[in-house]
Amino acid sequence: MQGSNAGRADASPLTRARWRLTDAADTMLSALFPGRARRLTPYIFLIPAFLIVGVIVAGLFYIGDSSLRVLDRSTFLQSEDYSLENYVNIYERAGYRSVLFRTFSGTAIVTITVLLLSFPYAYLMVRTQSSFLRKFLLFNLFLPFFLGQVVRAYGWLIILGQEGLVNGILGQLGLANISVLYTNTAVLIGLIQYMLPFGVLMLAPALTAIDSDIEAASEGLGAKWYQTLWHVVLPLAKPGFVAATVVVFTITLTEFAIPAILGGGTNDYVANAIYDAFFRVSDMGAGSALGVVLIVIGTTLVSVLFALMGTGTVGFLKEDK
Amino acid sequence: MFRAAPFRIAVWSVVVFNIIFLGLPTVVIVLASFTAGDLLTFPPEGFSLRWYERLLGMRDFREALGRSLQVALFCTLFAMPSGTLAALAMVRYRIRFARTLQLYFLLPFTVPLVVSGIGMMYVFGDMRVLGSLWPVGLATCAINLPFMIWSVSSAVNRLDPDLENAAANCGATPLQAFFTVTIPALMPGIITGALLMFILALNEFIVSIFLVDASIVTLPVWMYTSIRNIITPDLAAVSVVYILFAIVSIFALDRWVGLDIFLKSK
Repeated sequence: MQGSNAGRADASPLTRARWRLTDAADTMLSALFPGRARRLTPYIFLIPAFLIVGVIVAGLFYIGDSSLRVLDRSTFLQSEDYSLENYVNIYERAGYRSVLFRTFSGTAIVTITVLLLSFPYAYLMVRTQSSFLRKFLLFNLFLPFFLGQVVRAYGWLIILGQEGLVNGILGQLGLANISVLYTNTAVLIGLIQYMLPFGVLMLAPALTAIDSDIEAASEGLGAKWYQTLWHVVLPLAKPGFVAATVVVFTITLTEFAIPAILGGGTNDYVANAIYDAFFRVSDMGAGSALGVVLIVIGTTLVSVLFALMGTGTVGFLKEDK
Repeated sequence: MFRAAPFRIAVWSVVVFNIIFLGLPTVVIVLASFTAGDLLTFPPEGFSLRWYERLLGMRDFREALGRSLQVALFCTLFAMPSGTLAALAMVRYRIRFARTLQLYFLLPFTVPLVVSGIGMMYVFGDMRVLGSLWPVGLATCAINLPFMIWSVSSAVNRLDPDLENAAANCGATPLQAFFTVTIPALMPGIITGALLMFILALNEFIVSIFLVDASIVTLPVWMYTSIRNIITPDLAAVSVVYILFAIVSIFALDRWVGLDIFLKSK
């Protein structure tokens, strides 16, 4: 390529300036990191992302600290010395126990339902011969995915409300109104619709990785469709199911807007209880302790899943085979 | 398997249900925003653009939208370089403690958002930067960074290392090779990640609610605090603004990189 330098003679001044700039930067770089220091390159690449995630980690220390300090109700300041009182309170207060129970049982229902609904959608999207159908399914998936919780909860408010779509239709048919809004069912409907795109998007790459010839081979050997599904496709799709479970579970577990808007204040999840502790009763210690409990239980469940099944398609690294 | 009739019927019935289930809130919001009535009822009372007119006249709305766009821009500007470099380092190079680092970079997903939000409220409060918009941008970047790293790392996985070697062989310096070969090859991943980060930040609610006050309220927070027991159609018009942003992003994504990229395996 050195021979092609003839072309450089008629390069524009701007291009020349750019060459000089790159050359200068290169000289500087090799002066700063001579020879062996090149090994540090990947670690230097990691610094910005490390620092950005570090803000979250730093926040965790504040929360851990705050969770060990008890609120003095006369001054509304946190105590100087540490105690486990906030944690004991969570365990003892029936209100917190029922919020935790509602959150975890709701999250389990949402995760299972989303997995069941995601698989056929992802499967059809990946396997269909029609590129129009694939585009349509992708579009229909991304439109809600790109809308936030508040917008989507508002949509359900219009559908499920007293004067809403469902009751409007029931009224036209001469049937009695139903009141789903502000119940746990409304929250679950909102959460399942919110999480469905996440489930499908986590599952789809795993299904793409399964060669359709493998399915054909299984059937060629006489397996019925349900045998192929159960013994071939589902086991091979495991990394996708792990990823979908983790993402759906962790996001649902900490949802705030949907339980707040569709639950009407009587179907709170842990995130709502934490928010209330901070901003309604100004008891930062109680809110922080609830946050720590949420992290500990959530991380334990995810780690158990990772340990049993591997990180699936959640990781950035290629899985060692 | 797909040729078996019972399986086809089962798949198609779930898919049709999903299509309606996913699309219904969006369709209902759009219809509701054109109502002529004061309250949201079904069927809507007549057709009018009055709620859009009202919205344009609302300073609160215009300012909140402007702030959300700024936050989304900050978020994207933070995420693009940091996420791209991190993905390159994680996938391209052999590094020590790769598995531990991977878990670290997945923390934004495993730490509950409400906890991240409160934690960052403490951190930014101590730094005395609460009340500006860039910390909100940084926070939205932190909680969604895995999306950026994912998008770019799948592009890095598809990148042929021989391309960079060829560039070096032809006399390119490391920086020249980086900017003229590596980065252009990763562009589909970078664009995908940047678009995701932008749209997620534009919609970000739970973390923002801890980091904004009345003077710098962002659009989702403004919308949330405006929801009352009586459902008025003005918020349907705000939602339609979000729907338009979503549609534009989807078409941009499809045009520049193709939506199919999300179906590819690593």
